[in-house]
Amino acid sequence: MAGFIFKRLLQSVLTIAGVITAAFFLTRLAGDPSVLLLPPEASPEDAARLRSALGLDQPLFIQYLLFMGNAMTGDFGMSLRQAVPAMDLVLERVPATMELAVASFAVGIGLAFVLGILMRLTRQGWVRDVITWAALGRQAIPVFSFGLVMILIFSVWLRWLPSYGRGTFAHLILPALTLGTYELALYLRLFNASLSAEQRNDYVRTAYAKGQGRIQVLLKHMLPNALLPLITVAGINLGMLLGGTVVTETVFSWPGVGRLIVQSVSQRDFPVIVAGVFLISLVFVVINLIVDILYGFLDPRVRLN
Amino acid sequence: MARISFSQATAGALLLVMAILVILIPLLPGYDPYTQDLGATLLPMGGTSFDGKTFLLGTDTLGRDLLSRLALAGEVSTLIGLGAVAVSLVMGVTLGLIAGYFRGPVEAVIMGLADLQLSIPRVLLLIAVTAIVGPSVFNLAILLGLTSWVAYGRVARGMTLSLREREFILSARVQGASATWNIRQHLLPNVLPQMLIVGSYEFGMIIVLEASLSYLGLGVQPPLPSWGMMVSEGQNYLSLAPHLAMLPSIALFILVAGFQFLSQAFTKENDLEMVS
Repeated sequence: MAGFIFKRLLQSVLTIAGVITAAFFLTRLAGDPSVLLLPPEASPEDAARLRSALGLDQPLFIQYLLFMGNAMTGDFGMSLRQAVPAMDLVLERVPATMELAVASFAVGIGLAFVLGILMRLTRQGWVRDVITWAALGRQAIPVFSFGLVMILIFSVWLRWLPSYGRGTFAHLILPALTLGTYELALYLRLFNASLSAEQRNDYVRTAYAKGQGRIQVLLKHMLPNALLPLITVAGINLGMLLGGTVVTETVFSWPGVGRLIVQSVSQRDFPVIVAGVFLISLVFVVINLIVDILYGFLDPRVRLN
Repeated sequence: MARISFSQATAGALLLVMAILVILIPLLPGYDPYTQDLGATLLPMGGTSFDGKTFLLGTDTLGRDLLSRLALAGEVSTLIGLGAVAVSLVMGVTLGLIAGYFRGPVEAVIMGLADLQLSIPRVLLLIAVTAIVGPSVFNLAILLGLTSWVAYGRVARGMTLSLREREFILSARVQGASATWNIRQHLLPNVLPQMLIVGSYEFGMIIVLEASLSYLGLGVQPPLPSWGMMVSEGQNYLSLAPHLAMLPSIALFILVAGFQFLSQAFTKENDLEMVS
Protein backbone atom coordinates (compact mmCIF):
# COMPACT_ATOMS: atom_id res chain seq x y z
CA MET A 1 0.00 0.00 0.00
CA ALA A 2 2.82 2.42 0.92
CA GLY A 3 4.45 1.78 -2.45
CA PHE A 4 1.20 2.43 -4.28
CA ILE A 5 0.62 5.72 -2.44
CA PHE A 6 4.21 6.78 -3.08
CA LYS A 7 3.96 6.04 -6.80
CA ARG A 8 0.68 7.90 -7.13
CA LEU A 9 2.06 10.83 -5.12
CA LEU A 10 5.12 11.08 -7.33
CA GLN A 11 2.90 11.04 -10.41
CA SER A 12 0.83 13.91 -9.03
CA VAL A 13 3.91 15.97 -8.19
CA LEU A 14 5.20 15.46 -11.74
CA THR A 15 1.84 16.52 -13.16
CA ILE A 16 1.81 19.68 -11.07
CA ALA A 17 5.37 20.46 -12.18
CA GLY A 18 4.12 20.01 -15.74
CA VAL A 19 1.23 22.39 -15.13
CA ILE A 20 3.63 25.01 -13.73
CA THR A 21 5.88 24.56 -16.77
CA ALA A 22 2.89 25.11 -19.06
CA ALA A 23 1.97 28.19 -17.01
CA PHE A 24 5.52 29.52 -17.40
CA PHE A 25 5.43 29.21 -21.18
CA LEU A 26 1.98 30.82 -21.26
CA THR A 27 3.12 33.83 -19.25
CA ARG A 28 6.18 34.25 -21.43
CA LEU A 29 4.02 33.98 -24.55
CA ALA A 30 1.95 36.83 -23.15
CA GLY A 31 4.95 39.07 -23.56
CA ASP A 32 7.27 41.03 -21.28
CA PRO A 33 5.34 41.69 -18.06
CA SER A 34 7.42 44.79 -17.33
CA VAL A 35 5.93 46.49 -20.42
CA LEU A 36 2.43 45.79 -19.13
CA LEU A 37 3.27 47.00 -15.63
CA LEU A 38 5.01 50.28 -16.48
CA PRO A 39 3.28 53.51 -17.41
CA PRO A 40 4.04 54.61 -21.00
CA GLU A 41 6.15 57.58 -19.83
CA ALA A 42 8.59 55.40 -17.85
CA SER A 43 12.28 55.95 -18.64
CA PRO A 44 14.49 53.13 -19.96
CA GLU A 45 16.34 53.18 -16.61
CA ASP A 46 13.07 52.57 -14.74
CA ALA A 47 12.26 49.73 -17.13
CA ALA A 48 15.70 48.17 -16.56
CA ARG A 49 15.29 48.47 -12.78
CA LEU A 50 11.89 46.80 -12.87
CA ARG A 51 13.15 44.07 -15.17
CA SER A 52 15.99 43.20 -12.81
CA ALA A 53 13.63 43.37 -9.81
CA LEU A 54 11.35 40.86 -11.54
CA GLY A 55 14.32 38.72 -12.57
CA LEU A 56 13.61 39.25 -16.27
CA ASP A 57 17.28 40.04 -17.01
CA GLN A 58 18.27 36.50 -16.00
CA PRO A 59 18.74 33.64 -18.50
CA LEU A 60 15.49 31.86 -19.43
CA PHE A 61 16.36 28.76 -17.44
CA ILE A 62 16.97 30.77 -14.25
CA GLN A 63 13.70 32.61 -14.89
CA TYR A 64 12.00 29.24 -15.15
CA LEU A 65 13.44 28.11 -11.80
CA LEU A 66 12.42 31.41 -10.20
CA PHE A 67 8.90 31.02 -11.60
CA MET A 68 8.77 27.42 -10.34
CA GLY A 69 9.87 28.52 -6.86
CA ASN A 70 7.35 31.34 -6.74
CA ALA A 71 4.55 29.13 -8.01
CA MET A 72 5.23 26.59 -5.26
CA THR A 73 4.42 29.29 -2.74
CA GLY A 74 1.40 30.42 -4.72
CA ASP A 75 3.09 33.60 -5.90
CA PHE A 76 2.10 34.42 -9.49
CA GLY A 77 2.93 38.11 -9.24
CA MET A 78 0.70 41.11 -8.78
CA SER A 79 -2.58 41.58 -10.62
CA LEU A 80 -2.02 44.05 -13.46
CA ARG A 81 -5.29 45.85 -12.68
CA GLN A 82 -5.45 45.89 -8.90
CA ALA A 83 -2.55 46.33 -6.51
CA VAL A 84 -3.12 42.89 -4.99
CA PRO A 85 -1.27 39.59 -5.47
CA ALA A 86 -3.02 37.63 -8.24
CA MET A 87 -3.44 34.55 -6.05
CA ASP A 88 -5.29 36.59 -3.38
CA LEU A 89 -7.91 37.63 -5.93
CA VAL A 90 -8.34 33.99 -6.95
CA LEU A 91 -8.52 32.65 -3.38
CA GLU A 92 -11.22 35.19 -2.55
CA ARG A 93 -13.44 33.53 -5.18
CA VAL A 94 -12.75 29.92 -4.19
CA PRO A 95 -15.66 29.46 -1.73
CA ALA A 96 -18.23 30.42 -4.39
CA THR A 97 -16.79 27.96 -6.92
CA MET A 98 -16.52 25.24 -4.28
CA GLU A 99 -20.15 25.75 -3.37
CA LEU A 100 -21.22 25.46 -7.01
CA ALA A 101 -19.00 22.45 -7.74
CA VAL A 102 -20.08 20.52 -4.63
CA ALA A 103 -23.77 21.28 -5.24
CA SER A 104 -23.50 20.25 -8.91
CA PHE A 105 -21.65 17.07 -7.98
CA ALA A 106 -24.37 16.24 -5.46
CA VAL A 107 -27.11 16.96 -8.01
CA GLY A 108 -25.43 14.72 -10.60
CA ILE A 109 -24.82 11.78 -8.26
CA GLY A 110 -28.15 12.22 -6.49
CA LEU A 111 -30.18 12.28 -9.71
CA ALA A 112 -28.26 9.33 -11.15
CA PHE A 113 -28.90 7.43 -7.91
CA VAL A 114 -32.62 8.15 -7.72
CA LEU A 115 -33.31 7.74 -11.44
CA GLY A 116 -31.10 4.65 -11.69
CA ILE A 117 -32.99 2.92 -8.91
CA LEU A 118 -36.31 4.02 -10.39
CA MET A 119 -35.27 2.50 -13.72
CA ARG A 120 -34.43 -0.78 -11.95
CA LEU A 121 -37.60 -1.02 -9.93
CA THR A 122 -40.19 0.16 -12.41
CA ARG A 123 -41.96 -2.41 -14.53
CA GLN A 124 -42.99 0.30 -17.00
CA GLY A 125 -40.79 0.28 -20.09
CA TRP A 126 -41.69 3.82 -21.07
CA VAL A 127 -40.38 5.24 -17.76
CA ARG A 128 -36.96 3.78 -18.56
CA ASP A 129 -37.12 5.17 -22.10
CA VAL A 130 -38.11 8.66 -20.99
CA ILE A 131 -35.28 8.82 -18.44
CA THR A 132 -32.69 7.50 -20.89
CA TRP A 133 -33.74 9.88 -23.64
CA ALA A 134 -33.94 12.89 -21.36
CA ALA A 135 -30.42 12.22 -20.09
CA LEU A 136 -29.07 11.70 -23.63
CA GLY A 137 -30.81 14.83 -24.86
CA ARG A 138 -29.41 16.83 -21.96
CA GLN A 139 -25.92 15.75 -22.97
CA ALA A 140 -26.38 17.30 -26.41
CA ILE A 141 -27.19 20.75 -24.99
CA PRO A 142 -24.22 22.95 -24.10
CA VAL A 143 -24.11 24.23 -20.51
CA PHE A 144 -24.82 27.85 -21.46
CA SER A 145 -27.84 26.97 -23.61
CA PHE A 146 -29.31 24.76 -20.91
CA GLY A 147 -28.72 27.48 -18.33
CA LEU A 148 -30.62 30.00 -20.42
CA VAL A 149 -33.51 27.57 -20.92
CA MET A 150 -33.65 27.17 -17.13
CA ILE A 151 -33.61 30.94 -16.66
CA LEU A 152 -36.30 31.38 -19.30
CA ILE A 153 -38.60 28.84 -17.64
CA PHE A 154 -37.99 29.38 -13.93
CA SER A 155 -37.05 33.06 -13.78
CA VAL A 156 -38.70 34.78 -16.74
CA TRP A 157 -41.92 32.81 -17.12
CA LEU A 158 -42.63 31.26 -13.73
CA ARG A 159 -40.71 33.86 -11.66
CA TRP A 160 -39.83 31.23 -9.07
CA LEU A 161 -36.06 31.51 -8.89
CA PRO A 162 -33.47 34.28 -9.23
CA SER A 163 -31.55 34.23 -12.52
CA TYR A 164 -28.20 35.61 -11.38
CA GLY A 165 -25.95 36.24 -8.39
CA ARG A 166 -25.12 34.32 -5.25
CA GLY A 167 -26.55 34.54 -1.76
CA THR A 168 -29.50 32.42 -0.77
CA PHE A 169 -30.13 28.75 -1.42
CA ALA A 170 -32.55 29.73 -4.17
CA HIS A 171 -29.64 31.31 -6.08
CA LEU A 172 -27.84 27.99 -6.11
CA ILE A 173 -30.63 25.85 -7.57
CA LEU A 174 -30.49 26.81 -11.25
CA PRO A 175 -26.67 26.86 -11.60
CA ALA A 176 -26.34 23.51 -9.82
CA LEU A 177 -29.07 21.93 -11.96
CA THR A 178 -27.46 23.29 -15.11
CA LEU A 179 -23.98 22.00 -14.36
CA GLY A 180 -24.95 18.88 -12.43
CA THR A 181 -27.14 17.31 -15.10
CA TYR A 182 -24.56 17.58 -17.91
CA GLU A 183 -22.93 14.23 -17.19
CA LEU A 184 -26.12 12.51 -16.07
CA ALA A 185 -26.34 10.21 -19.12
CA LEU A 186 -22.84 8.89 -18.42
CA TYR A 187 -23.56 8.35 -14.72
CA LEU A 188 -26.84 6.57 -15.43
CA ARG A 189 -25.22 4.24 -17.95
CA LEU A 190 -22.43 3.42 -15.51
CA PHE A 191 -24.74 2.92 -12.56
CA ASN A 192 -26.96 0.63 -14.62
CA ALA A 193 -24.00 -1.33 -15.92
CA SER A 194 -22.56 -1.88 -12.45
CA LEU A 195 -25.98 -2.83 -11.04
CA SER A 196 -26.37 -5.36 -13.86
CA ALA A 197 -22.92 -6.73 -13.11
CA GLU A 198 -23.80 -7.13 -9.42
CA GLN A 199 -27.02 -8.88 -10.37
CA ARG A 200 -25.07 -11.89 -11.61
CA ASN A 201 -23.23 -12.45 -8.33
CA ASP A 202 -23.87 -15.39 -6.03
CA TYR A 203 -24.67 -13.23 -3.03
CA VAL A 204 -27.64 -11.76 -4.89
CA ARG A 205 -29.00 -15.22 -5.66
CA THR A 206 -28.46 -16.19 -2.03
CA ALA A 207 -30.37 -13.14 -0.85
CA TYR A 208 -33.28 -13.96 -3.15
CA ALA A 209 -33.14 -17.60 -2.00
CA LYS A 210 -33.46 -16.42 1.59
CA GLY A 211 -36.75 -14.90 0.52
CA GLN A 212 -35.83 -11.21 0.41
CA GLY A 213 -37.77 -8.94 -1.89
CA ARG A 214 -36.42 -7.12 -4.97
CA ILE A 215 -36.27 -3.76 -3.24
CA GLN A 216 -34.47 -5.11 -0.24
CA VAL A 217 -31.87 -6.98 -2.31
CA LEU A 218 -31.28 -3.93 -4.46
CA LEU A 219 -30.95 -1.38 -1.66
CA LYS A 220 -29.24 -3.47 1.00
CA HIS A 221 -27.00 -5.79 -0.95
CA MET A 222 -26.31 -4.53 -4.44
CA LEU A 223 -26.20 -0.79 -3.90
CA PRO A 224 -23.06 -0.50 -1.75
CA ASN A 225 -21.08 -2.40 -4.36
CA ALA A 226 -22.58 -0.64 -7.36
CA LEU A 227 -22.01 2.87 -6.01
CA LEU A 228 -18.23 2.60 -5.91
CA PRO A 229 -17.54 2.81 -9.66
CA LEU A 230 -20.09 5.60 -10.00
CA ILE A 231 -18.36 7.76 -7.42
CA THR A 232 -14.92 7.03 -8.87
CA VAL A 233 -15.89 8.06 -12.37
CA ALA A 234 -17.65 11.12 -11.05
CA GLY A 235 -14.42 11.99 -9.21
CA ILE A 236 -12.35 11.55 -12.36
CA ASN A 237 -14.87 13.60 -14.30
CA LEU A 238 -14.50 16.44 -11.86
CA GLY A 239 -12.20 18.10 -14.40
CA MET A 240 -15.16 18.42 -16.74
CA LEU A 241 -17.20 19.81 -13.85
CA LEU A 242 -14.52 22.33 -12.87
CA GLY A 243 -14.18 23.41 -16.51
CA GLY A 244 -17.96 23.69 -16.68
CA THR A 245 -18.00 26.07 -13.70
CA VAL A 246 -16.36 28.70 -15.92
CA VAL A 247 -19.30 28.78 -18.32
CA THR A 248 -21.96 28.25 -15.65
CA GLU A 249 -20.59 31.07 -13.51
CA THR A 250 -20.70 33.39 -16.52
CA VAL A 251 -24.30 32.45 -17.37
CA PHE A 252 -25.54 33.07 -13.82
CA SER A 253 -23.13 35.88 -12.86
CA TRP A 254 -21.87 33.59 -10.10
CA PRO A 255 -18.89 35.29 -8.40
CA GLY A 256 -16.46 32.35 -8.59
CA VAL A 257 -12.97 31.65 -9.93
CA GLY A 258 -14.23 30.87 -13.44
CA ARG A 259 -15.97 34.20 -13.82
CA LEU A 260 -12.87 35.95 -12.45
CA ILE A 261 -10.75 34.22 -15.12
CA VAL A 262 -13.13 35.25 -17.91
CA GLN A 263 -13.25 38.85 -16.64
CA SER A 264 -9.47 38.90 -16.35
CA VAL A 265 -9.19 37.82 -19.98
CA SER A 266 -11.09 40.88 -21.17
CA GLN A 267 -8.91 43.05 -18.89
CA ARG A 268 -5.76 41.25 -20.11
CA ASP A 269 -4.79 40.56 -16.49
CA PHE A 270 -2.51 37.59 -17.22
CA PRO A 271 -1.20 36.84 -13.70
CA VAL A 272 -4.78 36.36 -12.48
CA ILE A 273 -5.61 34.08 -15.45
CA VAL A 274 -2.55 31.91 -14.84
CA ALA A 275 -3.09 31.81 -11.06
CA GLY A 276 -6.74 30.80 -11.56
CA VAL A 277 -6.00 28.07 -14.10
CA PHE A 278 -3.17 26.78 -11.92
CA LEU A 279 -5.33 26.61 -8.79
CA ILE A 280 -8.17 24.76 -10.52
CA SER A 281 -5.73 22.26 -12.06
CA LEU A 282 -4.10 21.78 -8.66
CA VAL A 283 -7.45 21.06 -7.02
CA PHE A 284 -8.26 18.63 -9.82
CA VAL A 285 -4.95 16.75 -9.47
CA VAL A 286 -5.31 16.53 -5.69
CA ILE A 287 -8.89 15.24 -5.90
CA ASN A 288 -7.86 12.60 -8.42
CA LEU A 289 -5.06 11.56 -6.11
CA ILE A 290 -7.43 11.22 -3.16
CA VAL A 291 -9.99 9.27 -5.21
CA ASP A 292 -7.28 6.88 -6.43
CA ILE A 293 -5.83 6.28 -2.97
CA LEU A 294 -9.29 5.76 -1.47
CA TYR A 295 -10.06 3.32 -4.24
CA GLY A 296 -6.81 1.52 -3.52
CA PHE A 297 -7.94 1.09 0.09
CA LEU A 298 -11.40 -0.11 -0.86
CA ASP A 299 -10.41 -2.41 -3.70
CA PRO A 300 -7.03 -4.15 -3.30
CA ARG A 301 -6.97 -5.16 -6.98
CA VAL A 302 -6.32 -1.53 -7.97
CA ARG A 303 -3.06 -1.16 -6.07
CA LEU A 304 -1.70 -4.51 -7.20
CA ASN A 305 -2.10 -3.57 -10.83
CA MET B 1 -30.96 -4.71 -47.95
CA ALA B 2 -29.88 -3.88 -44.43
CA ARG B 3 -32.45 -2.43 -42.09
CA ILE B 4 -31.80 1.15 -41.10
CA SER B 5 -31.38 1.37 -37.34
CA PHE B 6 -33.02 3.97 -35.17
CA SER B 7 -29.71 5.74 -34.47
CA GLN B 8 -28.93 5.88 -38.18
CA ALA B 9 -32.34 7.32 -39.05
CA THR B 10 -32.20 9.94 -36.29
CA ALA B 11 -28.63 10.91 -37.17
CA GLY B 12 -29.64 11.19 -40.82
CA ALA B 13 -32.68 13.35 -40.10
CA LEU B 14 -30.83 15.73 -37.75
CA LEU B 15 -27.85 16.12 -40.04
CA LEU B 16 -30.12 16.66 -43.03
CA VAL B 17 -31.72 19.63 -41.24
CA MET B 18 -28.21 20.93 -40.53
CA ALA B 19 -27.12 20.45 -44.15
CA ILE B 20 -30.16 22.41 -45.35
CA LEU B 21 -29.34 25.24 -42.95
CA VAL B 22 -25.62 25.38 -43.64
CA ILE B 23 -25.49 24.53 -47.36
CA LEU B 24 -28.86 25.41 -48.88
CA ILE B 25 -29.79 28.65 -47.08
CA PRO B 26 -26.70 30.57 -48.25
CA LEU B 27 -27.66 29.73 -51.87
CA LEU B 28 -31.15 31.18 -51.58
CA PRO B 29 -31.98 34.75 -52.62
CA GLY B 30 -32.27 37.05 -49.63
CA TYR B 31 -29.33 35.45 -47.83
CA ASP B 32 -27.66 38.36 -46.07
CA PRO B 33 -26.01 37.86 -42.68
CA TYR B 34 -24.40 41.31 -42.43
CA THR B 35 -26.68 44.18 -43.51
CA GLN B 36 -27.94 46.07 -40.48
CA ASP B 37 -31.33 47.72 -40.44
CA LEU B 38 -31.83 49.76 -37.29
CA GLY B 39 -35.47 50.31 -38.25
CA ALA B 40 -36.14 46.57 -38.06
CA THR B 41 -34.41 45.38 -34.89
CA LEU B 42 -35.60 42.48 -32.73
CA LEU B 43 -38.33 41.41 -35.12
CA PRO B 44 -40.12 38.24 -33.99
CA MET B 45 -40.18 35.10 -36.12
CA GLY B 46 -42.00 35.79 -39.37
CA GLY B 47 -41.88 39.53 -38.62
CA THR B 48 -42.03 42.13 -41.41
CA SER B 49 -39.99 45.34 -41.48
CA PHE B 50 -41.38 48.77 -42.46
CA ASP B 51 -40.17 48.42 -46.01
CA GLY B 52 -42.07 45.17 -46.38
CA LYS B 53 -39.27 42.62 -46.02
CA THR B 54 -40.28 39.45 -44.19
CA PHE B 55 -37.80 37.68 -41.91
CA LEU B 56 -38.60 34.01 -41.41
CA LEU B 57 -36.77 33.76 -38.09
CA GLY B 58 -36.83 37.47 -37.22
CA THR B 59 -33.89 39.84 -36.73
CA ASP B 60 -31.24 40.47 -34.08
CA THR B 61 -30.46 43.61 -32.06
CA LEU B 62 -28.96 45.31 -35.11
CA GLY B 63 -31.73 44.29 -37.47
CA ARG B 64 -29.72 41.57 -39.19
CA ASP B 65 -31.50 38.51 -40.61
CA LEU B 66 -31.32 35.73 -38.01
CA LEU B 67 -31.76 32.87 -40.47
CA SER B 68 -28.81 34.03 -42.54
CA ARG B 69 -26.69 34.54 -39.45
CA LEU B 70 -27.58 31.08 -38.14
CA ALA B 71 -26.54 29.58 -41.47
CA LEU B 72 -23.24 31.45 -41.65
CA ALA B 73 -22.49 30.67 -37.99
CA GLY B 74 -23.10 27.00 -38.75
CA GLU B 75 -20.64 27.17 -41.62
CA VAL B 76 -18.01 28.81 -39.43
CA SER B 77 -18.46 26.25 -36.63
CA THR B 78 -18.38 23.32 -39.04
CA LEU B 79 -15.17 24.61 -40.63
CA ILE B 80 -13.53 25.08 -37.24
CA GLY B 81 -14.73 21.64 -36.16
CA LEU B 82 -13.43 19.90 -39.28
CA GLY B 83 -10.10 21.70 -39.07
CA ALA B 84 -9.72 20.83 -35.40
CA VAL B 85 -10.67 17.18 -35.94
CA ALA B 86 -8.16 16.93 -38.79
CA VAL B 87 -5.37 18.43 -36.68
CA SER B 88 -6.11 16.31 -33.61
CA LEU B 89 -6.61 13.12 -35.63
CA VAL B 90 -3.27 13.44 -37.41
CA MET B 91 -1.48 14.38 -34.20
CA GLY B 92 -3.20 11.77 -32.02
CA VAL B 93 -2.79 8.90 -34.49
CA THR B 94 0.86 9.71 -35.11
CA LEU B 95 1.73 9.95 -31.41
CA GLY B 96 -0.40 6.93 -30.52
CA LEU B 97 1.15 4.71 -33.20
CA ILE B 98 4.67 5.79 -32.25
CA ALA B 99 3.99 5.18 -28.54
CA GLY B 100 2.47 1.76 -29.18
CA TYR B 101 5.07 0.63 -31.71
CA PHE B 102 8.26 1.71 -29.97
CA ARG B 103 7.14 1.26 -26.35
CA GLY B 104 9.77 2.07 -23.69
CA PRO B 105 10.72 5.67 -22.85
CA VAL B 106 9.07 7.09 -25.99
CA GLU B 107 5.76 5.64 -24.87
CA ALA B 108 6.27 6.90 -21.31
CA VAL B 109 6.90 10.45 -22.52
CA ILE B 110 3.92 10.52 -24.91
CA MET B 111 1.48 9.02 -22.44
CA GLY B 112 2.81 11.30 -19.68
CA LEU B 113 2.06 14.24 -21.96
CA ALA B 114 -1.48 12.90 -22.42
CA ASP B 115 -1.97 12.62 -18.65
CA LEU B 116 -0.64 16.14 -18.15
CA GLN B 117 -3.03 17.52 -20.71
CA LEU B 118 -5.97 15.75 -19.09
CA SER B 119 -5.06 17.30 -15.73
CA ILE B 120 -5.90 20.80 -16.97
CA PRO B 121 -9.60 21.19 -17.81
CA ARG B 122 -9.77 21.76 -21.56
CA VAL B 123 -11.94 24.87 -21.43
CA LEU B 124 -9.53 26.53 -19.00
CA LEU B 125 -6.47 25.66 -21.04
CA LEU B 126 -8.14 27.04 -24.16
CA ILE B 127 -9.19 30.22 -22.35
CA ALA B 128 -5.65 30.80 -21.13
CA VAL B 129 -4.09 30.17 -24.54
CA THR B 130 -6.61 32.12 -26.65
CA ALA B 131 -6.35 35.01 -24.18
CA ILE B 132 -2.67 35.19 -25.05
CA VAL B 133 -2.44 34.32 -28.75
CA GLY B 134 -5.70 36.07 -29.62
CA PRO B 135 -8.86 34.46 -30.98
CA SER B 136 -9.41 33.94 -34.71
CA VAL B 137 -11.04 31.22 -36.76
CA PHE B 138 -7.64 29.82 -37.75
CA ASN B 139 -6.23 29.95 -34.20
CA LEU B 140 -9.37 28.31 -32.83
CA ALA B 141 -9.19 25.38 -35.25
CA ILE B 142 -5.50 24.83 -34.47
CA LEU B 143 -5.81 25.25 -30.69
CA LEU B 144 -8.92 23.06 -30.43
CA GLY B 145 -7.06 20.48 -32.52
CA LEU B 146 -3.87 20.60 -30.46
CA THR B 147 -5.80 20.09 -27.21
CA SER B 148 -7.99 17.23 -28.47
CA TRP B 149 -5.46 14.60 -29.58
CA VAL B 150 -5.51 12.53 -26.37
CA ALA B 151 -8.60 10.45 -27.23
CA TYR B 152 -7.14 9.41 -30.61
CA GLY B 153 -3.70 8.87 -29.12
CA ARG B 154 -4.91 6.55 -26.40
CA VAL B 155 -7.08 4.44 -28.68
CA ALA B 156 -4.41 4.24 -31.40
CA ARG B 157 -1.81 3.19 -28.85
CA GLY B 158 -4.11 0.59 -27.32
CA MET B 159 -4.81 -0.97 -30.71
CA THR B 160 -1.14 -0.87 -31.71
CA LEU B 161 -0.11 -2.74 -28.57
CA SER B 162 -2.03 -5.80 -29.70
CA LEU B 163 -1.46 -5.36 -33.45
CA ARG B 164 2.33 -5.21 -33.15
CA GLU B 165 2.43 -8.76 -31.78
CA ARG B 166 0.44 -10.14 -34.72
CA GLU B 167 2.09 -12.33 -37.36
CA PHE B 168 1.80 -9.96 -40.31
CA ILE B 169 3.74 -7.28 -38.48
CA LEU B 170 6.27 -9.68 -37.01
CA SER B 171 6.96 -11.21 -40.41
CA ALA B 172 7.43 -7.79 -41.97
CA ARG B 173 9.81 -6.91 -39.17
CA VAL B 174 11.77 -10.12 -39.57
CA GLN B 175 12.10 -9.37 -43.29
CA GLY B 176 13.71 -6.09 -42.40
CA ALA B 177 10.82 -3.66 -42.84
CA SER B 178 11.56 -0.32 -41.22
CA ALA B 179 9.45 1.10 -38.41
CA THR B 180 8.09 3.82 -40.70
CA TRP B 181 7.05 1.23 -43.29
CA ASN B 182 5.36 -0.94 -40.69
CA ILE B 183 3.52 1.96 -39.13
CA ARG B 184 2.39 3.38 -42.44
CA GLN B 185 1.59 0.20 -44.34
CA HIS B 186 0.36 -2.10 -41.61
CA LEU B 187 -0.72 -0.20 -38.52
CA LEU B 188 -2.32 2.93 -39.96
CA PRO B 189 -4.92 1.17 -42.16
CA ASN B 190 -5.91 -1.00 -39.22
CA VAL B 191 -6.52 1.79 -36.72
CA LEU B 192 -8.04 4.31 -39.14
CA PRO B 193 -11.69 3.10 -39.08
CA GLN B 194 -11.76 3.30 -35.29
CA MET B 195 -10.17 6.75 -35.46
CA LEU B 196 -12.99 8.00 -37.67
CA ILE B 197 -15.49 6.86 -35.04
CA VAL B 198 -13.58 8.73 -32.35
CA GLY B 199 -13.54 11.68 -34.76
CA SER B 200 -17.30 11.73 -35.24
CA TYR B 201 -17.75 11.71 -31.46
CA GLU B 202 -15.08 14.36 -30.91
CA PHE B 203 -16.55 16.61 -33.61
CA GLY B 204 -19.62 17.20 -31.44
CA MET B 205 -17.44 17.89 -28.40
CA ILE B 206 -15.36 20.39 -30.35
CA ILE B 207 -18.45 22.19 -31.64
CA VAL B 208 -19.61 22.58 -28.01
CA LEU B 209 -16.16 23.79 -26.90
CA GLU B 210 -16.01 26.33 -29.71
CA ALA B 211 -19.53 27.50 -28.90
CA SER B 212 -18.61 27.82 -25.21
CA LEU B 213 -15.52 29.88 -26.01
CA SER B 214 -17.55 32.08 -28.36
CA TYR B 215 -20.20 32.45 -25.67
CA LEU B 216 -17.48 33.69 -23.30
CA GLY B 217 -16.32 36.15 -25.98
CA LEU B 218 -13.08 34.27 -26.61
CA GLY B 219 -14.02 32.42 -29.76
CA VAL B 220 -15.19 33.66 -33.13
CA GLN B 221 -15.04 37.46 -33.24
CA PRO B 222 -17.65 39.85 -34.71
CA PRO B 223 -18.77 40.66 -37.35
CA LEU B 224 -18.50 36.92 -38.10
CA PRO B 225 -21.37 35.20 -36.29
CA SER B 226 -21.13 32.10 -34.13
CA TRP B 227 -23.91 30.26 -32.35
CA GLY B 228 -22.25 30.70 -28.96
CA MET B 229 -21.86 34.42 -29.49
CA MET B 230 -25.46 34.74 -30.70
CA VAL B 231 -26.67 33.03 -27.51
CA SER B 232 -24.61 35.43 -25.42
CA GLU B 233 -26.05 38.45 -27.31
CA GLY B 234 -29.54 37.04 -26.87
CA GLN B 235 -29.15 36.56 -23.13
CA ASN B 236 -29.85 40.24 -22.45
CA TYR B 237 -33.14 40.02 -24.35
CA LEU B 238 -34.34 36.78 -22.82
CA SER B 239 -37.70 38.10 -21.65
CA LEU B 240 -38.23 40.45 -24.61
CA ALA B 241 -37.15 38.20 -27.49
CA PRO B 242 -36.32 34.69 -26.26
CA HIS B 243 -35.86 33.37 -29.82
CA LEU B 244 -32.59 35.33 -30.03
CA ALA B 245 -30.91 32.94 -27.60
CA MET B 246 -33.05 29.88 -28.25
CA LEU B 247 -32.65 29.56 -32.04
CA PRO B 248 -28.84 29.21 -31.96
CA SER B 249 -29.24 26.86 -28.98
CA ILE B 250 -31.58 24.66 -31.02
CA ALA B 251 -29.14 24.72 -33.94
CA LEU B 252 -26.35 23.61 -31.61
CA PHE B 253 -28.54 20.85 -30.22
CA ILE B 254 -29.39 19.53 -33.69
CA LEU B 255 -25.75 19.41 -34.78
CA VAL B 256 -24.39 17.91 -31.55
CA ALA B 257 -27.19 15.35 -31.18
CA GLY B 258 -26.79 14.45 -34.86
CA PHE B 259 -23.14 13.59 -34.37
CA GLN B 260 -23.84 11.74 -31.13
CA PHE B 261 -26.27 9.48 -32.96
CA LEU B 262 -23.87 9.14 -35.87
CA SER B 263 -21.04 7.89 -33.67
CA GLN B 264 -23.49 5.60 -31.87
CA ALA B 265 -24.66 4.17 -35.19
CA PHE B 266 -21.02 3.62 -36.27
CA THR B 267 -20.18 1.99 -32.96
CA LYS B 268 -23.07 -0.44 -33.09
CA GLU B 269 -22.55 -1.29 -36.73
CA ASN B 270 -18.92 -2.17 -36.21
CA ASP B 271 -19.62 -3.81 -32.88
CA LEU B 272 -17.05 -1.64 -31.13
CA GLU B 273 -16.80 -0.39 -27.61
CA MET B 274 -17.46 3.32 -27.35
CA VAL B 275 -14.43 5.23 -26.21
CA SER B 276 -14.79 8.50 -24.43
